[in-house]
Amino acid sequence: MKRIIIDREKCDGCLNCNIACISAHEEGSNFYTVNMQSPDAETRNFIKFDAQKGYLPIFCRHCDEPECVLSCMSGALEKDPLTGHVQYDESKCAACYMCVMNCPYGVLKPDKRARTKVIKCDFCDDKPDGPSCVKACPKKAIEVKEVSL
Amino acid sequence: MNSNFSCKTCASADQKLETFISNLSVDTSHHRMEGQSVKCGFGLQGICCRLCSNGPCRITPDGPKGVCGATADTIVARNFLRAVSAGSGCYIHIVENTALMLKKTAASKGVLKGKVALAKLADIFEVAEADEHVRAEKIADMVLADLYKPDYVKMELVEKMAYKPRFDRWKELGILPGGAKSEVFAGVVKTSTNLNSDPVDMYLNCLKLGISTGLYGLTLTNLLNDVMLGEPSIRLAPVGLRVIDTDYINIMITGHQHSIFAYLQDRLIQDDVIEKAKAVGAKGFKLVGCTCVGQDLQLRGEHYKEVFNGHAGNNFTSEAILATGAIDAVLSEFNCTLPGIEPICDELKIKQICLDDVSKKANAEMKPFVFEEKETQSNEIIDAVIESYQARRAVVTLNMAADHGNDDTLTGVSEGSLKSFLGGTWKPLIDLIVKGEIKGIAGVVGCSSLTAGGHDVLTVNLVKELIAKDILVLSAGCSSGGLENVGLMSPSAASLAGPKLRAVCESLGIPPVLNFGPCLAIGRLELVATELAEAIGVDLPQLPLVLSAPQWLEEQALADGAFGLALGLPLHLGLPPFVTGSPVAVQVFTQDMLNLTGGQLIIDDNAKSAAETLDAIIEKKRKELNI
Amino acid sequence: MKIVIIGASAAGISAAKTIKASEPDTEVVIISKEDSIHSRCMLHKFLGHERDAKGISFIADDFFETNGITWHSNTTVIGLDAQKKTVKTHDNQDIGYDKLLIATGAAYFIPPIPGLREAKNVYGFRDLKDAQLLDSECNTAKNAVVIGAGLVGMDAAVAMLMRGLKVTVIEMTPAVMSLQLDQKSAQAYQQLFEEHGAAFILNDKVVSVDVDEVGRGKTIHLASGKAVPADVIVIAAGVRPAFSFTEGSGIATNHAILVGDDLKTNIDDIYAAGDVTGMAGIWPNAMKQGRIAAINMLGEKLLYEDRYALKNTVNFYGLTTLSLGNINPEPEENCNIFIREDRHNYQKVIIKNGIIQGVIIQGNIAGTGFWQYLIKNKIDVSGKNKDVFSLSYADFYDLNQDTGEYNYAV
Repeated sequence: MKRIIIDREKCDGCLNCNIACISAHEEGSNFYTVNMQSPDAETRNFIKFDAQKGYLPIFCRHCDEPECVLSCMSGALEKDPLTGHVQYDESKCAACYMCVMNCPYGVLKPDKRARTKVIKCDFCDDKPDGPSCVKACPKKAIEVKEVSL
Repeated sequence: MNSNFSCKTCASADQKLETFISNLSVDTSHHRMEGQSVKCGFGLQGICCRLCSNGPCRITPDGPKGVCGATADTIVARNFLRAVSAGSGCYIHIVENTALMLKKTAASKGVLKGKVALAKLADIFEVAEADEHVRAEKIADMVLADLYKPDYVKMELVEKMAYKPRFDRWKELGILPGGAKSEVFAGVVKTSTNLNSDPVDMYLNCLKLGISTGLYGLTLTNLLNDVMLGEPSIRLAPVGLRVIDTDYINIMITGHQHSIFAYLQDRLIQDDVIEKAKAVGAKGFKLVGCTCVGQDLQLRGEHYKEVFNGHAGNNFTSEAILATGAIDAVLSEFNCTLPGIEPICDELKIKQICLDDVSKKANAEMKPFVFEEKETQSNEIIDAVIESYQARRAVVTLNMAADHGNDDTLTGVSEGSLKSFLGGTWKPLIDLIVKGEIKGIAGVVGCSSLTAGGHDVLTVNLVKELIAKDILVLSAGCSSGGLENVGLMSPSAASLAGPKLRAVCESLGIPPVLNFGPCLAIGRLELVATELAEAIGVDLPQLPLVLSAPQWLEEQALADGAFGLALGLPLHLGLPPFVTGSPVAVQVFTQDMLNLTGGQLIIDDNAKSAAETLDAIIEKKRKELNI
Repeated sequence: MKIVIIGASAAGISAAKTIKASEPDTEVVIISKEDSIHSRCMLHKFLGHERDAKGISFIADDFFETNGITWHSNTTVIGLDAQKKTVKTHDNQDIGYDKLLIATGAAYFIPPIPGLREAKNVYGFRDLKDAQLLDSECNTAKNAVVIGAGLVGMDAAVAMLMRGLKVTVIEMTPAVMSLQLDQKSAQAYQQLFEEHGAAFILNDKVVSVDVDEVGRGKTIHLASGKAVPADVIVIAAGVRPAFSFTEGSGIATNHAILVGDDLKTNIDDIYAAGDVTGMAGIWPNAMKQGRIAAINMLGEKLLYEDRYALKNTVNFYGLTTLSLGNINPEPEENCNIFIREDRHNYQKVIIKNGIIQGVIIQGNIAGTGFWQYLIKNKIDVSGKNKDVFSLSYADFYDLNQDTGEYNYAV
C-alpha cells in the first residue's frame, strides 16, 4: 500500500500541510482562497513541536492493524482491501468517537462544528497525483512510498 | 558553476529566450523557480505576522487570532501597508535623487536637453523665471521641499499636478499626502507591533502613499529626467539579446535612475574614450539596456543613438544577458538588480559596480555617485571596465543569441510624443474611441515575474486577448520588455489586433501595443489619461480605460497599484497581493473601493477571462458615456 | 473446515470477517436470534427516528453473500453437544461444527422488584427487537421512565426525548453515567438533558411498580416515597452474559463463559468472545476478541492481551467526553488528581507514582487517543517533566523508518 513516509528531520513546522489539507477538503478552493477561519476548516494532519526532537509530523498511518476500524461500531471506518487505506463513510458514522479514543497516535478528532462526524485523513481519495499535503511540503519531509501490507 | 537547482527552467512567453536559458550552464531565476514551486499558504494569504517575538503567528482554524489578538484582517492590512510603504520609499528615493540631480545640474549650468519638458513643468508649477537654469533649479527645489515636508504638512504640488476632480475626491477622503518621505515613515510606524489595528484606516493610508508615489515618484521623475536628458520621441529600435555587439566593450545598466548615467553616457562616446577602447581591441563602448533604466534610455534613444545599443530585456532577462558572455561590466543604481547575477558575474568575470548603496550587490565594487566628482568617477569606471574587458574576453566563451528579439520595436512613446504624433491634439484618438475604432485603452504595466504561467506568459497572453478585442494597449515597466521582445510592439503585430484596431494601426503604421518604457512611465499613462479626461470633460473613472499589472512582482508595484486605485481606475492583477486571507481586504479592494475612489481590484490569472472582465468594464463605461 | 459462530454482533461478525479474509475456503455459519445485523450502540438513533433499521447496520448490505457466509437468522441456539460437535436450535436442527465460537453477548436484567417483571410495558434496550417494541410504545406514550442512568439508559432517554416524550430518569447513584464520569462531568450532561426536557431522580431506588388491570405498569414508587407516572418503562440496570444453552455441555462458566488468553474455553475447538466472556464490556474490545478468537481457531496463536476495558466515549447533544480508567479514585488510593477547566472544557487526570490511572476529557477530545495507550500500558510519564495536560503522542513519538508506522518511545 501507499503510505506517507515522514522524514521528521526535514520538517520546519511551516504548516503548509495543514493548509493543503484544509484546502483539499474545501471544494473549489486553492491556497489563495481557502478559508482558514471557516468553522469547517479542519486539518487532518498535525505538526507538534518538541524542544528536544524538533518538529514532529503526525499523519494518519492508515495502519496495518487499524485500531480505529476495530473500534468502529457503525461500519463507517473500513480498511480498503485494495488500497490499504482506511476510508470513512460519513453517512454511516454514529459519531460515537470510539475511534478517537482508540487511535494510539491521537490522529482522529471530532468535527468542530457539530460533533457529528470524524475528521480523518482520506489520502485525498487516492487521487492519481497523490495527497495534497505531500505536494505542499516545501521540504519534502513527507513523501508517498509503497510499503508492504 | 555548482547547480543545486533543477535543470528544468520555467516557461517564458519568449520562446527563444526560454530555449536560450534552458541551455545555459549557469543558474538563473528561471532555473530556481522549480525549487521554489511549493509556496507557503500563509504567506500567499498574507496571514503570517512576524512583528513580535510571540510570533510568527499564523491564522489557522486552531489559532484564529495572533497572540496579541490581531485578526487576519489586521495582520493582512499591516503587512500590506508595510509593503506599500516600502514600495513608495523606493520610488521616493528615485525622485529625490532625480530632483537633486536636476538641482545640481542647473546650479552648475549643465546641459538641459528637454526644453519642452522644462516649459511644461514651469507652467504646472507656476514658475516664471526666464533663465532656464534658474527655472530648473526652482522646480527641483519645489519638488524637494515637498518631499521633505513632515507628514502633517500637505505637499503643495499635489493640487497643481492632479486632475481637479481627483484632487477634490482625495481631499474629501482625507488622503492628501503630507511630505512623501514622512508618509513612508508614518506607514512603517503605523504597522509596527501593537499600533494600528484598523484595516480600513490602513488601506486609506495605502491610497495616500499611492498618490505621493504616483505624482512624485512616477510622474515627476519622468518629467525631471526629461528636462535633463531630453524628451522621448517616437522611432523604431532593435530589442532583445541581438542588441549586444561583441565588437564593443559592453556595459549592462540596471536600475531606475537614468540621470546617474547622464554624464557617463556622453563621456563614453568622446574620442579619447573611444581611443582607449580601440587600444584594447574594441571598437568603442556600448550601453546595453536592461530593466527599467534600459527602458528609459530606449525611450530617449533618439538622443543616444551612438552609445546605446538597444534594450536587451527585462528584470528576468538580466541573467541571460550576462550569460551571453559579451557583457564586460554591470553598472547598477537601483532595483531590479537580481542577486542572481552575482554568481554569474563571478563565473564570467564580469565587473560589477554599484552607483547607489541602496542596491549594493554583495560582490560588487561600491562607488556611490557624487555629482561633483562625476568626471573623475566616470574615468575610473571606464578604466575599470576596460580592465575587465581585457581580462575576460580572451578567456570567456561567448554564447550569443543573434536571432533573439527584433529590429523594429516602436519606442519613444510618451504623453508628449504621442500627442505630437497625433498632430498636437488628442482629438484624433478621442474620435477613434468615440467611433469605436478603438474600443478603449488598457494600460498593461508593472513588472515581469516567473509566476502566473511563467516569464511574461500572462502579460503576453492578456495583451493578445485585449488587442484582439480592439483595445489599444499602452505599456510601461518590465511588462514592455517582454512585450517588445515577442514582437507585440512591432508594427507587424497589428495583424494580431481585432479588425478595427488593426485597421487603425495599419493606417498609422504603429503596433497595437505602445511602448512607454519604464515602470516610472506609469506616470506618463496617468498624464495621458488625465489629458484625455480633460479633453472630454469627465473624471478619470468614467474613461473607457483600465489598468492591469498582470505580473506585478514587488512592493513598488503595490505602491503603483495604490496609485491606480486612487486614480479611480479598474486594476487587474494576475495574482492576489497577499491579502486574500482577510475578508475585509477582499471587500475593500474588490467592492468598497468603487465607492471610495471609483477604483476596483480584479484578480484573475487567466488571460482570457481577465480580458473578458476588462472588456466588459470598458463596454460599460462606453455605455455610460453614451458612445 | 466448518466454523460455526453463534451471535451476529461485534464479536461474531468481526470473527467471521477475519476468517474469510485470511481463509476464504473455510466454511462459516452464523446463527443469530435477530433477523438483522445492527449496532447496539446505535439503537437510540433508530428509536429517535434518526435512522431506520438498515441505517444502524454496521456491515455492508451484501456482507454474507460477498463473503460466502451462511447465516441462520431468527434462530436461537438452545443446546450444545461438545462430544458430537453439534449445536441444537429452537426449531430442532442439529448443526455440526469443526470449531465453534460462542458470541452470544449478554441480555438485559430486570431486578426482582414487585411489579417490574410482570408489567408488560417494561423493555430493555439491548437489541433491535427491544427498540422496535419501544418504538411503537412511543407512538402513544406520554410519560417515559428510564430506570438506570448508565450509558444505555441515557441512550434510551435521549431517543425518547427526541420523540417528544416526557422522560424521567431514575438512578441509584448520585450522578448520571457514574461508571464513566465524575460528579462535575456528569453534571454537564445532566444539565444538557434537563435543557432538553428530561427530569432526573438521583440517589433513589425503585421499590415497586403499580400494574393496572391490563398488566401495564402505571406508577413507579421510589424509596424516597416519590411516585412517578409511566406509560412506558425502560430498564437499564445492567446486563448478564447469555449462555444458558451451554448448560450440561461441560463448558466452564462463572457468571460468564471462562476463556484463556487464546479465547478458548476449557473444551477444545470451542471458543468464546465478546460480552459472553464477561471481559469485553465495550464494542472495540468485542471486535478485537472476535478477531483474535478467529485467528486462534484458524490454528495460529494470538493472545488477547489488550484487555483494557475501562474506557468509553460519550457524545450527547454535541458534548463529547473521553473517559478512561479509574476516574473516581478513593482517597486511600493516594492518587494525585489534576483538574483543568475553561468555559468549554473539563479535564481531569489521575496519576499515581508517575503512572496515569484515569482520565476524563470533556469538551474538545481531538487527538486524545494516546491516553488509552499510556493508561493500559502503565507508562511512567514522570520523566517527561511537563504539565500533564500538555502530553500528546508527540512525547512518545517514534517512527519505524521501514514501514512508516509509528511506535511508542517509552
